[in-house]
Amino acid sequence: MSGPALFGVRHLSPAAAYHLRRALDEAKPELVLVEGPSDLNGQMEWLCHPDTRFPAAILAYTKEPPVRTVLWPFAVYSPETQAILWAHEHGVECRFMDLPSSVFLGFREAESVGAGVLTGLSEPENSPAAGADEDIGPYTAESIYRRLETLTGEDHDTFWERTFEQLEGEDFQAVNNTFGRQLRAASLESGRDLAETVVREAYMKRVMAQAVASGVPAEKIFCVCGSFHVAGLEENRPMTDEEEKALPKADCCATLMPYSYYRLSSRSGYGAGNKAPAYFELLWDALNRGGVGEGAYLYLTRLAAAHRKAGNLVSSAEVIEAVRLADTLAAMRGSKYPTLSDLRDASVTTMGHGSFSELAVAAADTEIGKKIGFLPEGVARTSVQEDFYRQLKELRLEKYRTAELQRLDLDLREKLNVKSQQAALGDLRRSFFLHRLRVLGVQFANLLPSRQDGANWGEYWELRWTTEAEIEIVESALMGDTVEGAAAFALKERADNSSSIAQAAAIFQDAFLCGMPGAAAHALSVLQGLSVDSAAISEVAETASRLSLVVRYGDLRRFDPAPVVPLIKQLYLRSCLTLESACVCDSKAASAVTQAMDRINTLQLNHEFLEEDRWLKLLTSISDRDDLNTHCSGFAMAILLERGKADEELLSREVARRLSPGVPADLGAGWFEGLAGKNRYALIARLSLWRQLDQYLSGLDDETFRRALVFLRRAFADFSPSEKNDIAENLGEIWGVNARQAAEILMNDVTEAEQAVLDSLDEFDFDDI
Amino acid sequence: MADKNVQRLPAEELYQTELDALISAETEPIPTGWRMSPRSVLTYLTGNTKVKGVDITPKYMGSKRLVEIAIATLVTDRALLLIGEPGTAKSWLSEHLAAAVNGDSTKVVQGTAGTTEEQIRYSWNYAMLIAKGPCPEAMVKSPVYRAMETGSIARVEEISRCASEVQDALISILSEKRLSVPELGLEVPAAKGFSVIATANTRDKGVNDMSAALKRRFNIVVLPTPSDMETEMDIVRTRVAQLSSGLDLNARQPGEDTVEKVVTIFRELRAGATLDGKQKLKTTSGVLSTAEAISLLANSMALAGSFGDGRISDSDLAAALQGAVVKDEEHDKVTWKEYLENVMKKRGHEWLPLYRACRELNG
Repeated sequence: MSGPALFGVRHLSPAAAYHLRRALDEAKPELVLVEGPSDLNGQMEWLCHPDTRFPAAILAYTKEPPVRTVLWPFAVYSPETQAILWAHEHGVECRFMDLPSSVFLGFREAESVGAGVLTGLSEPENSPAAGADEDIGPYTAESIYRRLETLTGEDHDTFWERTFEQLEGEDFQAVNNTFGRQLRAASLESGRDLAETVVREAYMKRVMAQAVASGVPAEKIFCVCGSFHVAGLEENRPMTDEEEKALPKADCCATLMPYSYYRLSSRSGYGAGNKAPAYFELLWDALNRGGVGEGAYLYLTRLAAAHRKAGNLVSSAEVIEAVRLADTLAAMRGSKYPTLSDLRDASVTTMGHGSFSELAVAAADTEIGKKIGFLPEGVARTSVQEDFYRQLKELRLEKYRTAELQRLDLDLREKLNVKSQQAALGDLRRSFFLHRLRVLGVQFANLLPSRQDGANWGEYWELRWTTEAEIEIVESALMGDTVEGAAAFALKERADNSSSIAQAAAIFQDAFLCGMPGAAAHALSVLQGLSVDSAAISEVAETASRLSLVVRYGDLRRFDPAPVVPLIKQLYLRSCLTLESACVCDSKAASAVTQAMDRINTLQLNHEFLEEDRWLKLLTSISDRDDLNTHCSGFAMAILLERGKADEELLSREVARRLSPGVPADLGAGWFEGLAGKNRYALIARLSLWRQLDQYLSGLDDETFRRALVFLRRAFADFSPSEKNDIAENLGEIWGVNARQAAEILMNDVTEAEQAVLDSLDEFDFDDI
Repeated sequence: MADKNVQRLPAEELYQTELDALISAETEPIPTGWRMSPRSVLTYLTGNTKVKGVDITPKYMGSKRLVEIAIATLVTDRALLLIGEPGTAKSWLSEHLAAAVNGDSTKVVQGTAGTTEEQIRYSWNYAMLIAKGPCPEAMVKSPVYRAMETGSIARVEEISRCASEVQDALISILSEKRLSVPELGLEVPAAKGFSVIATANTRDKGVNDMSAALKRRFNIVVLPTPSDMETEMDIVRTRVAQLSSGLDLNARQPGEDTVEKVVTIFRELRAGATLDGKQKLKTTSGVLSTAEAISLLANSMALAGSFGDGRISDSDLAAALQGAVVKDEEHDKVTWKEYLENVMKKRGHEWLPLYRACRELNG
């Protein structure tokens, strides 16, 4: 053979990795070229570091938003990994040969802009190094795999495993190259667009040509590429300089990051070869131990062990039966060794008593696994990682970076007995930092509910470090160079996407907690914009009271509340204008309205800059009007009473008016319910009120009394025993009975006879009450 | 050839031509005691091909994989336990497996509350026992005994309905693969190829729960209800056609839309939600299995053939549906009425005649 040796692989295939190493041993090349981003050769050094634990991934991302990413995962059983490691061990030069990451990202950009540079691009998450044959794009691949599946009656993974992973003795390279060629021929037949593939192959060819030009004999070059590309690399011509210049390029950065099997199985965007990373690693172990046949024993014993660990009984006899059944199933499908699907079905039948759900936990553990990669200290970090570790040190949080769950209590108040201002606000700065991580979705710190009553300077956190958190931090590099910058970006994005004022207010509050006035201001402007459009009174009131919290306690977090004030004023005005019309509602909606009313009242009391007059006038009007929901009117009256704006005379007049015999019982009692909704002591203290109520009730005929009773019962339902006791005293006085006797009657449990009367009410027709 | 006047022929006689074709076309190794290779058994059960010019009809229309597992279990001489809701073709599959493997699906023990240990092992012809004393001629061998002698498959139906001592009688047979007859000083070893296929009903769970010891001796395959509408309609259509030709019903085959309606109603009431998943429904107390749908349609065909114009009318269907759905008067009637009003009524004009007919029956 004259040209460079081509070894077609399926990415993430243990058999390919195993045979690749043998082939390398035999070929003794001077240069190994691996399908991967050719501008990121520097990352290889870290992949070969003795402390590195796979899986790891190279992540490239654009610097400018909208951020695009491209990811090359490496598992220990990836042929690429083994090729790189082999070269490192034998002191042979190794390089990536695929398009640079900047071009990959450039393609994505061009695609999204709609420039139509290439039309056959794969999905963004369809990472290029991910699947050998898969990276030709979902269209072609999909259809051919469907066809294969209908032909073989098995899914593609199983087909691959049965046909290729179990190859023994045969020439893996030749077999796989042939498969790649035919697959390619079949996809070309279907007339699909392979533009990106062709460009990539031309580039790879160019890298090979360059290597030859630099003096490496062509036959001493060994290329590891997806088997799909073999034919392309044999036939296509290398890319010219002009063509190379014409490639779109994006400004980007790259980093190495630890990866996890969980992500490898679920997030890599395509379904080939890595649904079960832990199983594939197990196959890799088996190959290096005694042959692929070992895999079945390893899988079944591990599954049994995991199932036992989950608290179930598994006998060795069952494992033996599972092995036998799996072997028979494999034989029925004509393969020498069982595949994952055979093994799984066999274990479900024997160990799982027929249902997969019994084994699900153990199976997830054995097939996907919890393995997380590890990178040695000093690996090129993204700037956001650097910022994270710097702040961790500065804020003395480093000791919390362990796998153990630890608690952290913060006191946000300024400490007056320390020297520097930095130290005085140390806990506050920690709080900002942790909140920013929370906003970024980094699972490092978890905020616990406050244990304080009536104060809010304490904050309680739970911290635990996982490698997942590291991955999340690396991912937030897409949003900014520092933790703060990334958090600001995340908040801005969320704010821009929010569609209700409640959402925007929540984002504002987050920004406030993060100590980021800029982001807060942005959220505020979004909030303001949204509040112009009509919103329900309860939403407006809730938002206003959230903002009010910031104004009142912002000081604690060194937050300047000035920009919030105008918005509160605006919301206050809006709610004052809409409240009265909101009071025209049915009794179901009334409670939401009264809640809003209460909130606005608190708001007004808390802030002097909100006109009191307007509020009082509004309340008086609601209280006086007869055409509103009486529950709301009653509640307005209660507020007026509480604020001391309604005197005894007014109250007694109102009571007389609302509870006069002519008024329908539900309206009267509804009003009373509203009145009793607030400030009960003021009511209880007014004897005249109870006298009037008594008069009113005794004046009702039986039918109306029963109607009224329903409402009154509801009104009194949430009075506390001591309040009821006080009412009893009042009534005792009115009726001239001993207060204690009255209390006894009121406080006693309902007797059977009374219960019967109450039960008869069940058949009462409440209409639409 | 098989006797045409028999109400129901065993599978091996009904499908004799198919079995013969498969046996004569055999190319692969055949396990001891079997009549054909495991792969041919699979072909026999899943069908849809032609072997030597003979159409192989599909017998089991669910997941092919489950059938593979069942066959593989028998190859490894393990006992097979088929579990499922009523009407998920457990007995059907068991019968056809035995027919394909041995050409004999008649070694059956029907599990009931009254099944005794003797029916699993052996009993005596008492007249002869008194006349001659214990001797091989006086012994009445159970189907399991005969299967052990001949190295074939015995079937135990509804194993969870048997009392536990009866179930336990199976344990020694399945683990030792021997049966001892102390009266005759005999130890009968199982010939190669012996196995047991048992079926159990999930609805009977807890009636006589199987002991862990017994369960351990079985490979368990759970048969699901048909996974999608198309499969279920396929099953219903095929089986109704087969049934009606056997029963000489003078009625036309139910139309596509009739099958679709019945299957839709059954699936919806079974799942407790409409097919689009948008509306929750009450479920019925009885099991609305595929088998039930099949017999419902056959039933309507009988009604139409005997008393109508040979075409299934909506009132026939309504009457049959009423009988199938409303098993428990109180609860099911409410469920059914709600279904009629909330779902069927709103389905548009195609469903309207059926709705009216159902409505009439429910006042």
